[in-house]
Amino acid sequence: MESLLQILSPDFLLRNSVYTSILVGFACPLVGVFLVLRRLVFMGVALPQISSTGVAVALSIPLWLGMNHAAQSSQSEHAMAFAGSIAFTLIAILVLAFLERRGRGQPEGRLGTAYVVAAALSILILSKNRYAELGWLDLLKGEVITISNFDLSLTAIMLALVLMALALFHKELFLVSFDRVMALTLGKNVVFWDIILYLLLGLTVSLAVLSVGPLIAFGFLLIPALVAHLFARTMRQFLLIASLLGGVASLIGFWIAYAWDFPVGPADVMLLGIFYGIAWIIAAIAGLTPDKRLSRTHRASGGNEKAVASL
Amino acid sequence: MTNAIITFENLSIGYQGRPLLGDISLSIARGSFTAILGANGSGKSTMLKTVLGLIPPVAGRIALAADRGKSFVFGYVPQTTNLDPLFPFTGFDVALMGAYGRVKPGFPVPAGERAFTRECLEAAGAQGFARERFAELSGGQKQRVLIARALVTRPDILVLDEPTSGVDAAATRAVLEFISRIHREKEITVLLVTHDLPIVRRHAQQVIWLHQGRALNGPVAEMLMPERLMSIFEMEVQ
Repeated sequence: MESLLQILSPDFLLRNSVYTSILVGFACPLVGVFLVLRRLVFMGVALPQISSTGVAVALSIPLWLGMNHAAQSSQSEHAMAFAGSIAFTLIAILVLAFLERRGRGQPEGRLGTAYVVAAALSILILSKNRYAELGWLDLLKGEVITISNFDLSLTAIMLALVLMALALFHKELFLVSFDRVMALTLGKNVVFWDIILYLLLGLTVSLAVLSVGPLIAFGFLLIPALVAHLFARTMRQFLLIASLLGGVASLIGFWIAYAWDFPVGPADVMLLGIFYGIAWIIAAIAGLTPDKRLSRTHRASGGNEKAVASL
Repeated sequence: MTNAIITFENLSIGYQGRPLLGDISLSIARGSFTAILGANGSGKSTMLKTVLGLIPPVAGRIALAADRGKSFVFGYVPQTTNLDPLFPFTGFDVALMGAYGRVKPGFPVPAGERAFTRECLEAAGAQGFARERFAELSGGQKQRVLIARALVTRPDILVLDEPTSGVDAAATRAVLEFISRIHREKEITVLLVTHDLPIVRRHAQQVIWLHQGRALNGPVAEMLMPERLMSIFEMEVQ
């Protein structure tokens, strides 16, 4: 408990890392909800990896141009990493969305290929990068330790923008995700709202990867949303449970990592995995797993149809 | 037809410039109950998508006559199987979507629209499902919620895409009786896509029968006469 009080103290040396973890923990699940609902879980795996490849490429450009690494400030390095991350993520999202709309080939195959190619490219780039040991590999692995005030402010501002956009446009984003034909008959521009959703997704993934790495980004995008889906009765509950679970898990994960001297990222993801396992057992006992819900609905259908018929 | 709400003028419909149905000229009267009939692959869905504006006509045009000073609104009722059960929306959430066309992006849904949604759920006999999870409702209950959603749009025309698909016989009867009732009471125009002849005979006034690339059109009594049906089916067999 003493270590928990330490990491919550404003004088804690790694306070920026704690705040960033918690911000990512709260924000990622809110975007992850859309990945789960639109059945784009594989995209949640592929995008953080592609984003981290963008970081590797962006940080390698000065070396390829023969520039001196020592001449670059940490802030300019971070800005370049962010630019690379968001550029790769958005290009990947737009290409994958375009291929999805054309409806050719297997989406899972495309996403799987994008994931392994991005991972391989990252390794290849870093293998030839003599400055990898200066911390870039740590950045890509998600060692949440050296986060400056600038990094924290950038993450906080951008995530606030994402959350504000989600709050303002949730009607349109949910409508085009749930019933595209209805959205079109109401005069909504579904392509525009898809692009807005993908932009928010790309921005969040890029920030999360840059702050905490692809492993944790994937964990926080998907696992809280999957846990929340087992218990939520309404969309509001779904969003609240997912976001709270992400935020609380990031804090507890950081606490465990600090108290037992583990790396933060893997500790967070393991904790989320344990939460998911426990949640699944509770849901199975309470009859809330998807298969049990479905069979209950089917059993109810016969009786309900008669009730409707009598109305 | 002077009282037409929808007019097809030399209309050809299909995909990517290739017509599936051609040279259709007919009118749907305001306040009428029209059924679109046809075998699988005859072009029912293509016609529906063209009417809704989801795909452009290959040739010709569709004229929509909205009330004065108001844009034309379709109250669309999809097949329940087209909606993903993964979304944890309640019946009320789904019905409220009907009001989204009148609420600007970034603005909350006003209290008046929420009250109107409750009224429509009540009118559709679906008020009891408002707080239930939509995915866990039966087929007939979902249809009632979706009809309520279509009413919330304040539609010029109610468009139903095989609304009894996946719904058992008793619920089918109840849903169609309800649609007939709101058609009579609210004098709302109904366009129903189906392949169920008994339903059409019982509820519709006008039939558009699609087969062999053409659209036959006429009153139910005439279109469903045994001799007419024989000739249509013989044409389909040939």
